[in-house]
Amino acid sequence: MSDKKLRAAFAIAGAFAAACSLAETAQAAKSEEKCFGVSLKGKNDCAAGPGTSCAGTSKTDYQGGAWKYVPKGTCTSIVTPKGKGSLEPIAD
Amino acid sequence: MTASVDFDQGAFVRALLDPELPTPNGLEARRGLQPERRFAVYRNNVCVGLVDALAERFPVCRQLVGDEFFRAMARCYVRDLLPRTPMLFDYGNDFADFVSSFEPAREVPYLADVAQLEYAVGQSYHAENAAPLSMDALRALPFDRLAGATAELHPSTHVVASQYPIVSIWRRHMSDDDAAQLELDHGEEALVVRPHLTINVTALPVGGSAFVRALERGEAFGQAVDAASGLTPEFDLTACLQALFLAEAFLAVNVSH
Repeated sequence: MSDKKLRAAFAIAGAFAAACSLAETAQAAKSEEKCFGVSLKGKNDCAAGPGTSCAGTSKTDYQGGAWKYVPKGTCTSIVTPKGKGSLEPIAD
Repeated sequence: MTASVDFDQGAFVRALLDPELPTPNGLEARRGLQPERRFAVYRNNVCVGLVDALAERFPVCRQLVGDEFFRAMARCYVRDLLPRTPMLFDYGNDFADFVSSFEPAREVPYLADVAQLEYAVGQSYHAENAAPLSMDALRALPFDRLAGATAELHPSTHVVASQYPIVSIWRRHMSDDDAAQLELDHGEEALVVRPHLTINVTALPVGGSAFVRALERGEAFGQAVDAASGLTPEFDLTACLQALFLAEAFLAVNVSH
Protein backbone atom coordinates (compact mmCIF):
# COMPACT_ATOMS: atom_id res chain seq x y z
CA MET A 1 0.00 0.00 0.00
CA SER A 2 1.38 3.37 -0.97
CA ASP A 3 1.98 6.13 1.57
CA LYS A 4 -0.87 8.17 0.20
CA LYS A 5 -3.29 5.27 0.36
CA LEU A 6 -2.17 4.42 3.88
CA ARG A 7 -2.75 7.98 5.02
CA ALA A 8 -6.23 7.95 3.43
CA ALA A 9 -7.06 4.68 5.17
CA PHE A 10 -5.94 6.12 8.52
CA ALA A 11 -7.97 9.27 7.96
CA ILE A 12 -11.09 7.26 7.19
CA ALA A 13 -10.60 4.94 10.17
CA GLY A 14 -10.12 7.95 12.45
CA ALA A 15 -13.17 9.74 11.06
CA PHE A 16 -15.36 6.65 11.51
CA ALA A 17 -14.28 6.17 15.11
CA ALA A 18 -14.77 9.85 15.93
CA ALA A 19 -18.14 10.00 14.16
CA CYS A 20 -19.37 6.93 16.08
CA SER A 21 -18.55 8.57 19.40
CA LEU A 22 -20.05 11.91 18.39
CA ALA A 23 -23.23 10.31 17.08
CA GLU A 24 -23.64 8.23 20.26
CA THR A 25 -23.22 11.34 22.42
CA ALA A 26 -25.68 13.29 20.31
CA GLN A 27 -28.21 10.45 20.44
CA ALA A 28 -27.96 10.25 24.23
CA ALA A 29 -28.50 13.98 24.54
CA LYS A 30 -31.52 14.08 22.25
CA SER A 31 -33.91 16.21 24.18
CA GLU A 32 -37.10 16.17 22.18
CA GLU A 33 -40.19 14.06 22.41
CA LYS A 34 -43.10 13.52 20.05
CA CYS A 35 -46.20 15.20 21.41
CA PHE A 36 -49.64 14.34 20.03
CA GLY A 37 -52.59 16.71 19.84
CA VAL A 38 -50.73 20.00 20.21
CA SER A 39 -49.88 21.07 16.67
CA LEU A 40 -51.79 23.68 14.73
CA LYS A 41 -53.35 22.77 11.40
CA GLY A 42 -50.63 22.11 8.82
CA LYS A 43 -47.85 22.58 11.37
CA ASN A 44 -47.39 19.00 12.54
CA ASP A 45 -43.96 17.37 12.30
CA CYS A 46 -45.52 14.10 11.19
CA ALA A 47 -48.24 11.44 11.41
CA ALA A 48 -51.27 13.43 10.33
CA GLY A 49 -53.15 10.28 9.45
CA PRO A 50 -53.72 7.80 6.66
CA GLY A 51 -53.37 9.00 3.10
CA THR A 52 -51.43 12.16 3.84
CA SER A 53 -47.85 12.95 2.96
CA CYS A 54 -47.22 13.40 6.66
CA ALA A 55 -45.40 16.47 7.95
CA GLY A 56 -47.36 19.69 7.56
CA THR A 57 -50.54 18.00 6.48
CA SER A 58 -52.76 17.87 9.56
CA LYS A 59 -56.23 19.12 8.70
CA THR A 60 -57.35 20.66 11.95
CA ASP A 61 -55.77 22.39 14.91
CA TYR A 62 -54.70 20.04 17.73
CA GLN A 63 -55.44 16.91 15.64
CA GLY A 64 -54.95 13.92 17.97
CA GLY A 65 -53.10 11.75 15.45
CA ALA A 66 -50.61 14.46 14.51
CA TRP A 67 -47.49 15.09 16.53
CA LYS A 68 -44.91 17.76 16.89
CA TYR A 69 -41.48 17.75 18.51
CA VAL A 70 -41.41 19.54 21.84
CA PRO A 71 -38.69 19.74 24.51
CA LYS A 72 -38.53 16.54 26.54
CA GLY A 73 -40.76 16.49 29.60
CA THR A 74 -43.03 19.31 28.47
CA CYS A 75 -45.57 17.45 26.31
CA THR A 76 -48.18 16.41 28.85
CA SER A 77 -48.19 19.82 30.49
CA ILE A 78 -49.14 21.58 27.25
CA VAL A 79 -52.78 22.65 27.46
CA THR A 80 -54.72 23.27 24.24
CA PRO A 81 -58.37 24.22 23.76
CA LYS A 82 -58.94 20.52 23.05
CA GLY A 83 -57.16 19.17 26.11
CA LYS A 84 -53.61 18.23 27.08
CA GLY A 85 -50.75 17.02 24.93
CA SER A 86 -50.16 13.28 24.90
CA LEU A 87 -47.17 11.02 24.29
CA GLU A 88 -49.55 8.56 22.57
CA PRO A 89 -51.91 9.29 19.66
CA ILE A 90 -55.27 10.64 20.82
CA ALA A 91 -58.43 9.37 19.11
CA ASP A 92 -60.08 12.40 17.47
CA MET B 1 -67.94 4.78 -20.98
CA THR B 2 -68.19 2.96 -24.28
CA ALA B 3 -66.07 4.65 -26.90
CA SER B 4 -67.84 5.27 -30.16
CA VAL B 5 -66.04 4.55 -33.41
CA ASP B 6 -64.89 8.11 -34.01
CA PHE B 7 -63.71 8.67 -30.41
CA ASP B 8 -60.29 10.32 -30.53
CA GLN B 9 -58.41 9.91 -27.27
CA GLY B 10 -55.73 12.45 -28.22
CA ALA B 11 -58.33 15.11 -28.90
CA PHE B 12 -60.04 14.24 -25.62
CA VAL B 13 -56.84 14.81 -23.64
CA ARG B 14 -56.05 18.06 -25.49
CA ALA B 15 -59.55 19.37 -24.81
CA LEU B 16 -59.17 18.34 -21.18
CA LEU B 17 -56.23 20.71 -20.81
CA ASP B 18 -57.38 23.61 -22.94
CA PRO B 19 -60.83 25.12 -22.27
CA GLU B 20 -60.54 27.04 -25.56
CA LEU B 21 -60.78 23.84 -27.58
CA PRO B 22 -64.18 22.47 -28.55
CA THR B 23 -65.71 19.61 -26.60
CA PRO B 24 -64.36 16.35 -28.05
CA ASN B 25 -66.56 14.35 -30.40
CA GLY B 26 -68.31 11.21 -29.35
CA LEU B 27 -69.46 12.30 -25.89
CA GLU B 28 -72.96 11.58 -24.78
CA ALA B 29 -74.79 12.71 -21.67
CA ARG B 30 -77.77 11.02 -20.10
CA ARG B 31 -81.24 12.41 -19.57
CA GLY B 32 -80.84 15.28 -21.97
CA LEU B 33 -77.89 16.87 -20.12
CA GLN B 34 -75.53 18.77 -22.34
CA PRO B 35 -72.22 16.94 -22.97
CA GLU B 36 -70.41 20.30 -23.16
CA ARG B 37 -71.46 21.22 -19.64
CA ARG B 38 -70.66 17.78 -18.25
CA PHE B 39 -67.26 17.82 -19.91
CA ALA B 40 -66.49 21.25 -18.47
CA VAL B 41 -67.23 19.90 -14.97
CA TYR B 42 -64.98 16.91 -15.58
CA ARG B 43 -62.18 19.12 -16.95
CA ASN B 44 -62.37 21.29 -13.87
CA ASN B 45 -62.29 18.28 -11.52
CA VAL B 46 -59.22 16.83 -13.20
CA CYS B 47 -57.36 20.11 -12.91
CA VAL B 48 -58.41 20.87 -9.33
CA GLY B 49 -57.60 17.32 -8.24
CA LEU B 50 -54.06 17.53 -9.59
CA VAL B 51 -53.52 21.06 -8.25
CA ASP B 52 -54.71 19.84 -4.82
CA ALA B 53 -52.27 16.92 -5.02
CA LEU B 54 -49.40 19.33 -5.72
CA ALA B 55 -50.51 21.67 -2.94
CA GLU B 56 -50.41 18.74 -0.48
CA ARG B 57 -47.08 17.54 -1.77
CA PHE B 58 -45.35 20.94 -1.71
CA PRO B 59 -46.69 22.60 1.48
CA VAL B 60 -43.62 24.76 2.09
CA CYS B 61 -43.53 26.06 -1.50
CA ARG B 62 -47.19 26.91 -1.07
CA GLN B 63 -46.43 28.89 2.07
CA LEU B 64 -43.49 30.64 0.43
CA VAL B 65 -45.51 32.09 -2.45
CA GLY B 66 -49.01 32.03 -0.98
CA ASP B 67 -51.94 29.85 -1.85
CA GLU B 68 -53.21 31.90 -4.78
CA PHE B 69 -49.85 32.12 -6.53
CA PHE B 70 -49.10 28.48 -5.87
CA ARG B 71 -52.39 27.26 -7.31
CA ALA B 72 -52.01 29.44 -10.41
CA MET B 73 -48.50 28.10 -10.94
CA ALA B 74 -49.66 24.53 -10.33
CA ARG B 75 -52.44 24.97 -12.92
CA CYS B 76 -49.80 25.90 -15.50
CA TYR B 77 -47.80 22.83 -14.55
CA VAL B 78 -50.85 20.56 -14.80
CA ARG B 79 -51.62 22.01 -18.21
CA ASP B 80 -48.06 21.26 -19.37
CA LEU B 81 -47.59 17.89 -17.72
CA LEU B 82 -50.22 15.35 -16.86
CA PRO B 83 -49.25 12.44 -14.59
CA ARG B 84 -47.16 9.83 -16.39
CA THR B 85 -48.10 7.00 -14.05
CA PRO B 86 -51.34 6.16 -12.24
CA MET B 87 -49.47 6.64 -8.91
CA LEU B 88 -50.19 10.14 -7.70
CA PHE B 89 -47.22 10.08 -5.31
CA ASP B 90 -44.95 10.14 -8.36
CA TYR B 91 -46.65 13.25 -9.70
CA GLY B 92 -44.51 16.35 -9.46
CA ASN B 93 -41.16 14.67 -10.19
CA ASP B 94 -40.22 17.53 -12.52
CA PHE B 95 -42.15 20.22 -10.65
CA ALA B 96 -38.84 21.72 -9.42
CA ASP B 97 -37.59 22.01 -13.03
CA PHE B 98 -40.85 23.64 -13.99
CA VAL B 99 -40.63 26.09 -11.10
CA SER B 100 -37.06 27.06 -11.99
CA SER B 101 -38.17 28.06 -15.49
CA PHE B 102 -41.45 29.66 -14.36
CA GLU B 103 -40.83 33.34 -14.98
CA PRO B 104 -43.20 34.80 -12.33
CA ALA B 105 -41.46 32.72 -9.61
CA ARG B 106 -38.06 34.32 -10.28
CA GLU B 107 -38.47 36.60 -7.28
CA VAL B 108 -38.23 33.59 -4.96
CA PRO B 109 -34.94 32.19 -6.24
CA TYR B 110 -34.84 29.27 -3.80
CA LEU B 111 -38.37 28.06 -4.61
CA ALA B 112 -37.25 25.42 -7.11
CA ASP B 113 -34.71 23.95 -4.69
CA VAL B 114 -37.27 23.84 -1.89
CA ALA B 115 -39.62 22.07 -4.32
CA GLN B 116 -36.89 19.54 -5.01
CA LEU B 117 -36.43 18.98 -1.28
CA GLU B 118 -40.17 18.54 -0.76
CA TYR B 119 -40.36 16.06 -3.61
CA ALA B 120 -37.46 14.13 -2.01
CA VAL B 121 -39.37 14.11 1.29
CA GLY B 122 -42.39 12.59 -0.46
CA GLN B 123 -40.29 9.97 -2.23
CA SER B 124 -38.57 9.14 1.04
CA TYR B 125 -41.94 8.68 2.71
CA HIS B 126 -43.03 6.18 0.08
CA ALA B 127 -39.68 4.34 -0.15
CA GLU B 128 -39.33 0.72 0.80
CA ASN B 129 -38.98 -0.06 4.51
CA ALA B 130 -35.64 -1.46 5.66
CA ALA B 131 -33.79 -1.80 8.95
CA PRO B 132 -30.75 0.54 9.05
CA LEU B 133 -27.42 -0.38 10.64
CA SER B 134 -27.42 0.27 14.37
CA MET B 135 -24.74 2.29 16.12
CA ASP B 136 -23.43 -0.98 17.57
CA ALA B 137 -23.10 -2.49 14.10
CA LEU B 138 -21.27 0.61 12.86
CA ARG B 139 -18.98 0.51 15.89
CA ALA B 140 -18.13 -3.11 15.10
CA LEU B 141 -16.87 -2.37 11.55
CA PRO B 142 -13.15 -2.92 10.86
CA PHE B 143 -12.33 0.79 10.64
CA ASP B 144 -8.85 0.28 9.20
CA ARG B 145 -10.24 -1.53 6.16
CA LEU B 146 -13.02 0.88 5.24
CA ALA B 147 -11.17 2.89 2.57
CA GLY B 148 -11.91 0.09 0.10
CA ALA B 149 -15.34 -0.74 1.47
CA THR B 150 -18.60 0.17 -0.24
CA ALA B 151 -21.85 1.16 1.40
CA GLU B 152 -25.48 0.43 0.81
CA LEU B 153 -27.64 3.34 1.82
CA HIS B 154 -31.18 3.17 3.10
CA PRO B 155 -33.64 3.13 0.16
CA SER B 156 -35.31 6.27 1.49
CA THR B 157 -32.07 8.29 1.27
CA HIS B 158 -32.04 11.45 -0.86
CA VAL B 159 -29.70 14.42 -1.05
CA VAL B 160 -30.51 17.87 -2.41
CA ALA B 161 -27.77 20.48 -2.67
CA SER B 162 -28.65 24.15 -3.02
CA GLN B 163 -26.89 27.50 -2.99
CA TYR B 164 -29.65 28.57 -0.60
CA PRO B 165 -30.27 27.39 3.00
CA ILE B 166 -33.11 25.08 1.98
CA VAL B 167 -33.06 22.98 5.16
CA SER B 168 -33.42 26.08 7.36
CA ILE B 169 -36.16 27.43 5.09
CA TRP B 170 -38.00 24.09 5.11
CA ARG B 171 -37.72 23.70 8.89
CA ARG B 172 -38.89 27.22 9.53
CA HIS B 173 -42.05 26.62 7.53
CA MET B 174 -42.76 23.21 8.98
CA SER B 175 -42.82 24.51 12.55
CA ASP B 176 -44.38 27.41 14.41
CA ASP B 177 -41.00 28.99 15.04
CA ASP B 178 -40.89 32.64 14.21
CA ALA B 179 -37.16 32.95 14.52
CA ALA B 180 -35.11 35.89 13.33
CA GLN B 181 -34.71 36.69 9.64
CA LEU B 182 -33.04 33.91 7.68
CA GLU B 183 -29.72 34.75 6.11
CA LEU B 184 -29.77 33.64 2.48
CA ASP B 185 -26.05 34.10 1.92
CA HIS B 186 -25.08 30.44 2.28
CA GLY B 187 -26.09 27.15 0.72
CA GLU B 188 -27.16 23.96 2.41
CA GLU B 189 -27.03 20.32 1.39
CA ALA B 190 -30.09 18.45 2.57
CA LEU B 191 -30.11 14.81 3.62
CA VAL B 192 -33.51 13.13 3.68
CA VAL B 193 -33.87 9.67 5.25
CA ARG B 194 -36.81 7.75 6.66
CA PRO B 195 -35.14 4.87 8.54
CA HIS B 196 -38.28 4.02 10.52
CA LEU B 197 -41.62 5.85 10.44
CA THR B 198 -40.30 9.38 10.74
CA ILE B 199 -38.68 11.39 7.97
CA ASN B 200 -35.41 13.05 8.99
CA VAL B 201 -34.36 16.17 7.12
CA THR B 202 -30.93 17.40 8.13
CA ALA B 203 -28.17 19.54 6.66
CA LEU B 204 -24.95 17.77 5.67
CA PRO B 205 -21.62 19.60 5.89
CA VAL B 206 -20.43 21.03 2.55
CA GLY B 207 -19.43 18.30 0.14
CA GLY B 208 -21.72 15.84 1.92
CA SER B 209 -24.10 15.45 -1.01
CA ALA B 210 -21.19 14.63 -3.36
CA PHE B 211 -19.99 12.06 -0.81
CA VAL B 212 -23.43 10.43 -0.60
CA ARG B 213 -23.87 10.42 -4.39
CA ALA B 214 -20.49 8.73 -4.82
CA LEU B 215 -21.48 6.05 -2.29
CA GLU B 216 -24.78 5.62 -4.14
CA ARG B 217 -22.83 5.05 -7.36
CA GLY B 218 -21.08 2.18 -5.62
CA GLU B 219 -17.76 3.93 -5.07
CA ALA B 220 -15.68 2.89 -2.07
CA PHE B 221 -15.32 5.23 0.94
CA GLY B 222 -11.83 6.25 -0.21
CA GLN B 223 -13.09 7.30 -3.64
CA ALA B 224 -16.15 8.99 -2.17
CA VAL B 225 -13.92 11.09 0.11
CA ASP B 226 -11.82 12.06 -2.94
CA ALA B 227 -14.98 12.99 -4.85
CA ALA B 228 -16.25 15.19 -2.01
CA SER B 229 -12.95 16.87 -1.16
CA GLY B 230 -12.19 17.33 -4.86
CA LEU B 231 -15.26 19.56 -5.11
CA THR B 232 -14.95 21.16 -1.66
CA PRO B 233 -11.47 21.03 -0.11
CA GLU B 234 -12.95 21.86 3.32
CA PHE B 235 -15.04 18.67 3.30
CA ASP B 236 -15.28 17.36 6.88
CA LEU B 237 -15.57 13.56 6.77
CA THR B 238 -16.14 13.16 10.50
CA ALA B 239 -19.01 15.66 10.57
CA CYS B 240 -20.50 14.11 7.44
CA LEU B 241 -20.37 10.57 8.84
CA GLN B 242 -21.83 11.77 12.12
CA ALA B 243 -24.81 13.28 10.27
CA LEU B 244 -25.28 10.08 8.26
CA PHE B 245 -25.06 7.93 11.42
CA LEU B 246 -27.57 10.08 13.28
CA ALA B 247 -29.94 9.98 10.32
CA GLU B 248 -29.50 6.18 10.22
CA ALA B 249 -28.71 6.33 6.52
CA PHE B 250 -26.54 3.19 6.32
CA LEU B 251 -28.12 -0.12 5.47
CA ALA B 252 -24.94 -2.15 5.04
CA VAL B 253 -21.18 -1.68 4.68
CA ASN B 254 -19.41 -4.24 2.53
CA VAL B 255 -15.76 -4.74 3.43
CA SER B 256 -13.76 -6.51 0.73
CA HIS B 257 -11.40 -9.32 1.65
